[in-house]
Amino acid sequence: MKMKSSALITALLGGAVWLSGCSKDALNNLSQDETRIYITDRDSSVNFSNYKTFSVSDSVAVIHDQQSNMELTASDSAYIVAVKKYMQQRGYVLVNRNQNPDIGINVSRVYSTTGVINYYDYSDYYGGYYDPYYWGYYDYGYYMPYAYDVYQITEGAMSVDMLDLKDASGNKTINFIWTGLIRGEGIFSAGNADSQVKALFDQSSYLKTGE
Amino acid sequence: MKRKLKIIIATLVLGAVSATGRAQKGDVKFNLDYNYSMPMGNFKNNIISNASPRGGTGEIMYSLSNKVAIGGLAGYQDYYQKYPRALYKTGPNETTSAVLTNSIQSIPVMAKVNYMPLGSSGAPVQPYLSGAAGFTFIGFKQYLGEFGSSDNAVSFAAKAGAGVFIPFGKLSAAGVSVGADYNYVPYNKNGFGSLNSLNVHAGVYFPLR
Repeated sequence: MKMKSSALITALLGGAVWLSGCSKDALNNLSQDETRIYITDRDSSVNFSNYKTFSVSDSVAVIHDQQSNMELTASDSAYIVAVKKYMQQRGYVLVNRNQNPDIGINVSRVYSTTGVINYYDYSDYYGGYYDPYYWGYYDYGYYMPYAYDVYQITEGAMSVDMLDLKDASGNKTINFIWTGLIRGEGIFSAGNADSQVKALFDQSSYLKTGE
Repeated sequence: MKRKLKIIIATLVLGAVSATGRAQKGDVKFNLDYNYSMPMGNFKNNIISNASPRGGTGEIMYSLSNKVAIGGLAGYQDYYQKYPRALYKTGPNETTSAVLTNSIQSIPVMAKVNYMPLGSSGAPVQPYLSGAAGFTFIGFKQYLGEFGSSDNAVSFAAKAGAGVFIPFGKLSAAGVSVGADYNYVPYNKNGFGSLNSLNVHAGVYFPLR
């Protein structure tokens, strides 16, 4: 009887250990590409075919817990080049920022030690990251008419924001009209930048000019 | 992993070899089964369509008579499915491209009754019908890419099944069990509805006294 009891306990413990070891770990079964997600949001009242020209900020804002500085690493440059490439593929004309572009585009790297990014907060502090004077409107604020959910961001994210400069004077504010967010492993590699930006544009077929 | 498996098999064989005599009123029997689970209905259509080969159940049954035994069971089943990259509407105008992974761990704890219609006939091979009810602890993790959310819940659970006990020898009280059962597990989080499944299982049983 004693031997059977110990055999039973051994069997139960062994079985429990064996079964728990059989569980599939979801994260260990993802390739680097599969870890990445691409999120886009837009102002649904905007007709993107009404815009013709665009300009991209010449450096990237590194946003960390509502603080920021401008940088231009090889990866940052690759993202800027890719954004220009895919905007031009959609028919938009690249111009200098002093040539009154219809759309201004900012590329940012976002980090957070708290792990939480609320995009209402992100847009509220946007004037601290990107001086509106860069786009020629020194006393205007920014306004995001849409919002992402609250996201946990600790490992970083790339954000591409499109700003409505064409209507800024009339609105007395610089409105966000489209945002793309890239998250996951390997996103800060220059070699991955083109495919990451392509993914954002691929899922935004409405991004095209009228001509 | 292989070493663990050898320990378990050795333990079970030890118990089986030491068992003698046929089950009678007052006998206590331990049953350890490997379980292969196939999601059904909403579970299959909306969460995980892949069958799970990662599961097992242990149960202790007390014989009230030659035909009826009651007892309890505990188990574990791991379900997993990774869906190819696709676009998901995650807000009014928000679109997310991601590889979606669903992962569910189910731990049922139930009271069970077995009915063996040929129990008093002395037939060595005993078919049985079974019913069980209790609770299932559910761990549900969902990932978009590597970004996950998790939810733990306890749900009512019930199952009905049938199978057969095959003794190792004519006079042995230990043997092999093979069967199938249908698991009913309501699960209303996120509107999923249920985690019902059809399971086939096979294992060994041996008397504890």
